[in-house]
Amino acid sequence: MNQLDTLLLISLITALISGLGRRHQLIGWATAILLTVQFLALLSISSLGYGGTVIESAVNLTILGQPLSWRFDGLSWFFALITIGAAMASSFFAAGIWAKKYKKHGGNPGLLQFAMSLNVFTMLVLLASGDLLSLFIGWELVSWASLLLMVLAGGIATQWGLRYIVYATAGAMSILAGIGIIYHLTGSFAYADLAAAASTFSTTHVVVLSLLFIAGFGVKMGLLPFHLWQAGAYAETPGPGSAFLGAISSRMGLYAMLIVVFQLIGLGKMIAVEIPFTFLSLRDLLMWVAAFTIIFPTYTALRQNDARYLLAWHGIGQGGYMMMGLLLLDPVGSAGGLLHVFNYATNQAALFLAITAVVYRTHTADLNRLGGLVNRMPLTFLVLLVGIIGLAGIPPMNGFVSKWLIYRSLIIEGMPLLFVATVIGTLGTILSVYKLIHNTFLGQLRLEHEHIREVPWSMLAPMLVVATIIFITGFMPGLVLDWVASAQAALGFTPLAYTLGGVETARGSLDMIWLCGVLFGGFGVGALLFYGGGNKAKRVHQLDNYAGGHFLTADTRYHYSNNFYAGLMHHIGGWYRGTFKWLESSLISIVSLLSGLTQILFHSYHPALFLLITATLSLYFFIG
Amino acid sequence: MNNIAFTVALPLLAAFLLPIISNSSKSAARFIGPFVLLAMLGFSLAYFNMLEHPVAIALGGFRPPLGITFHLDNLSLLMASIIPLIMLVLWPYANIEGYREESLLLLLAGSASGLALSGDLFNIYVFYELLSVASFGLAAANRTGAAFAATFRYLVMSGLGTVLALTGIGLIYTQTGTLNLAHIGLLASQLNNPAGLSAFALIVIGIGVKAEIFPVNGWVPEVYSTASPRISALLAGLISKLAVLVIVRLLVVAYQGPEALTLLLVLGMLGIIWGELSAWRSKDLKRMLSFSSIGQLGMVLVAFSIPGEAGMVAGIAMMLHHLVVKPGLFMLTEHWNGSLNKLAGAAKSSPLAAVLFMLFALSLIGVPPFPGFWAKLLLVTGLVEANTPLYLTALAVLLSATVIEAHYLMHTAIRMYSKGKKKQVKKLHQTPFTLTIISVFAVVLITALITMAPLGNKLQHIAAESSDRALYINTTFAARHTPVRKQISLIKQQSKVQ
Repeated sequence: MNQLDTLLLISLITALISGLGRRHQLIGWATAILLTVQFLALLSISSLGYGGTVIESAVNLTILGQPLSWRFDGLSWFFALITIGAAMASSFFAAGIWAKKYKKHGGNPGLLQFAMSLNVFTMLVLLASGDLLSLFIGWELVSWASLLLMVLAGGIATQWGLRYIVYATAGAMSILAGIGIIYHLTGSFAYADLAAAASTFSTTHVVVLSLLFIAGFGVKMGLLPFHLWQAGAYAETPGPGSAFLGAISSRMGLYAMLIVVFQLIGLGKMIAVEIPFTFLSLRDLLMWVAAFTIIFPTYTALRQNDARYLLAWHGIGQGGYMMMGLLLLDPVGSAGGLLHVFNYATNQAALFLAITAVVYRTHTADLNRLGGLVNRMPLTFLVLLVGIIGLAGIPPMNGFVSKWLIYRSLIIEGMPLLFVATVIGTLGTILSVYKLIHNTFLGQLRLEHEHIREVPWSMLAPMLVVATIIFITGFMPGLVLDWVASAQAALGFTPLAYTLGGVETARGSLDMIWLCGVLFGGFGVGALLFYGGGNKAKRVHQLDNYAGGHFLTADTRYHYSNNFYAGLMHHIGGWYRGTFKWLESSLISIVSLLSGLTQILFHSYHPALFLLITATLSLYFFIG
Repeated sequence: MNNIAFTVALPLLAAFLLPIISNSSKSAARFIGPFVLLAMLGFSLAYFNMLEHPVAIALGGFRPPLGITFHLDNLSLLMASIIPLIMLVLWPYANIEGYREESLLLLLAGSASGLALSGDLFNIYVFYELLSVASFGLAAANRTGAAFAATFRYLVMSGLGTVLALTGIGLIYTQTGTLNLAHIGLLASQLNNPAGLSAFALIVIGIGVKAEIFPVNGWVPEVYSTASPRISALLAGLISKLAVLVIVRLLVVAYQGPEALTLLLVLGMLGIIWGELSAWRSKDLKRMLSFSSIGQLGMVLVAFSIPGEAGMVAGIAMMLHHLVVKPGLFMLTEHWNGSLNKLAGAAKSSPLAAVLFMLFALSLIGVPPFPGFWAKLLLVTGLVEANTPLYLTALAVLLSATVIEAHYLMHTAIRMYSKGKKKQVKKLHQTPFTLTIISVFAVVLITALITMAPLGNKLQHIAAESSDRALYINTTFAARHTPVRKQISLIKQQSKVQ
């Protein structure tokens, strides 16, 4: 029983307690506190985040002659930190006053807490897996635990959950096939045997295995073309649950892909695999998949009119950045990819919690029914602002650092087209997060929202903590780059040379402390000039403004939200064709048609005829 | 040492005596059935515990290859213990009036254990016929028009199947001059020709009617959706497995060649496709479960078509898993019958039953760590190890079918957890009695999950033993204490004399 076992045990106990006590009033706080205990247990093995050696679990099983083992390394620790952190923020948010209202509206807050703690436990089991079999077990546990979180809201959420589980099962079966083939080739499920044998694999094996695993793990990441399930499934989960899922759930796909495809099979081999009739290697193809995963979902997000869906679609797109960074395979790009996992998790958690706070007060996430809330909910506005700056990758928030690393690496590695593609994606992100903050917080307040107040402190506190983390890790990215470097080392990459303020390489450096200093210094100088010149700030009332040259009176409130970016849509609107949806529905039609045909056999009046036909055919098979 | 014969004789005797006893004392008649089953269980468990290595028992003093042989190894005794066990769980305790069903059930129990233990084709045929008669009666026990129609369908198919199987057995006899399985094993080389293989095909298709093999399973959805859930549970869970067992025994002793395995593989694959696709479209829980059962039996067949021990262990694991899960699911339809749409609100009305449905469904899909996952894992590794294009196609079929399975099972689960109309929800209440029966299967499943490591070892031991052809042959002929080669010459002399 070492520290890793303690962590897993505490996590299991958390899930059990919140499961058994899910009807109790205080279960929310109990879960949140137990998650904090898990966080402390994780900190007790924080040496892993600073280049410590692998911790093996004392638990070992042998089932059907197959050994199962669990262990934690720098990469697992990094992902576990994000997992438990996101769960803590969501759990504290959901524990207090939010739960009361949720319960009043027919929800079951205890079940939500249970589902979240169960997800944390299964994710830790996945992160700790020490061989392919335990990896698959962890993978499936995570898949089915997140189904619970997705469907517990009932109604439309169950439909999304069903869609999710079909995709997830298809992914899992693809992984199982891959694991089966590896078992055939190496004779075991151990990581070490795979790593040793991988160099002897033929090109066909490398291609087949990579495609099976990337498709399988990619389903959870929402990699194109397996992304259709994700936005709805995450968005329809009750608020804090969305924050948790959005922050970390689909990153489990990235983690598993890193272990199996990058580390064990070896992505280096994919550079050598040329795709016939093109000038692309297998890795180039994957990078373009990542690029399209950035672009398409981000521009789909731009068209959403529901704040939750908008954020969830971004989650898919941001996964593309991580994948892109890691596929670059150099110290800078891979650090960018891993750092973006952390940064994006903080951004998404802050954003979803802020939107949940808005929904808590206004009962809607419809971007056409909000507006002007900045005066009523200033702190929520601040959190959302910090979050969108981070998500869009603008200094001084942390999202900038990771995206900068990825851009930098794309340029160093000489991939200008992909660079342009990621920039197009970032442009879409900036446009859509502006739409988000504009439609909810800016403009004129709607009449029905006159009376609302800021959300209570039990909800504000976790939001502000996350926002602070976003700023601090943007100001001093070196704090996180420590952990990233350990994760890189665990994966076999060359760790990035970093400083507290950023990176220092021969081909370009970034120092966020200096950059923030200039930024805030610039503001300071501006303010000095302004106030020093004897100018005075003038407060303008929210309703004291004009639209199209007309003065708007206080009784006809006006807020431009519908058909946002009409000009842009005029140009790119024709590109939205719903091709993936069409593909999905044609697949369903084919299955439906086939199953209609199969049922003919069972509706036949003369089933005995089939018996005779089969007998004749099989006799022919043997005699003829 | 011949006490094991009681597991066949006792229930058969009780089945015939039951109507007479029932005339004089109804309460005595009610106790006889469970008592006989307990006795059967006692005998087979005692043998199961004592068994160190496989034993062949010649009944009536005739030595093999003449006379009636029982082949006792871990697999046959396991099945012989499961038969009374599952019957005890599914016994109609609530049935106070009449004795018909009890009598038929005892007949079924006796013939089923005969089928599991028999070591020669003639007895297998006889017990199979008895089994059929009992199952016709049970399938029609509801006495509704639909049940009669379904049973008639079953009867026609089963009857034709028996004719085919008998033809096959006859062909084997003309080729080898014997019906003793071990003896057939000795003479297996004489079956490796078109006639011998045709015999196998005829037996597979004939017996396959009960094993729900594609495409001779046209009766399955009709019978299972009209018979009472207990009977469907028995037929889908137990009887189909016994029919598979016969095929497996033949496969082990005489048909190790690729042709026979290919036939099984192709039929199994088609069964998976047909079953799962039809289940995906069905609108009624009972029909859905029966189609899913066809798909699962397809998977069992695919598993057994993998050559060697890998196939045996995967097949037995799939078989036992389905044997526990499907009866549990069928018992749920006791109160949850009719259209799937009517199931809305079922979880609210009987939360425990909905949780049990989820448990069975997850295991059936093969979600780790449930036992179904380990069975499926064995099947996947076995298929990959076999490594021919056809086996890899089967792997692709199996994995795609799992996705479809996950969709329809979860779709049903989500219906159960959705809100329903109050009036309808009331009807969906499961009685404590049914819930207890279902819970028994769930407890078995969870126990298997907890004891997966030792269970896996035991399973591999059983598979190693039952896939050993030489062991099967030697077990029977070792009784003579003469070398096998000498026996062969002796047998040849005998047949010449005849």
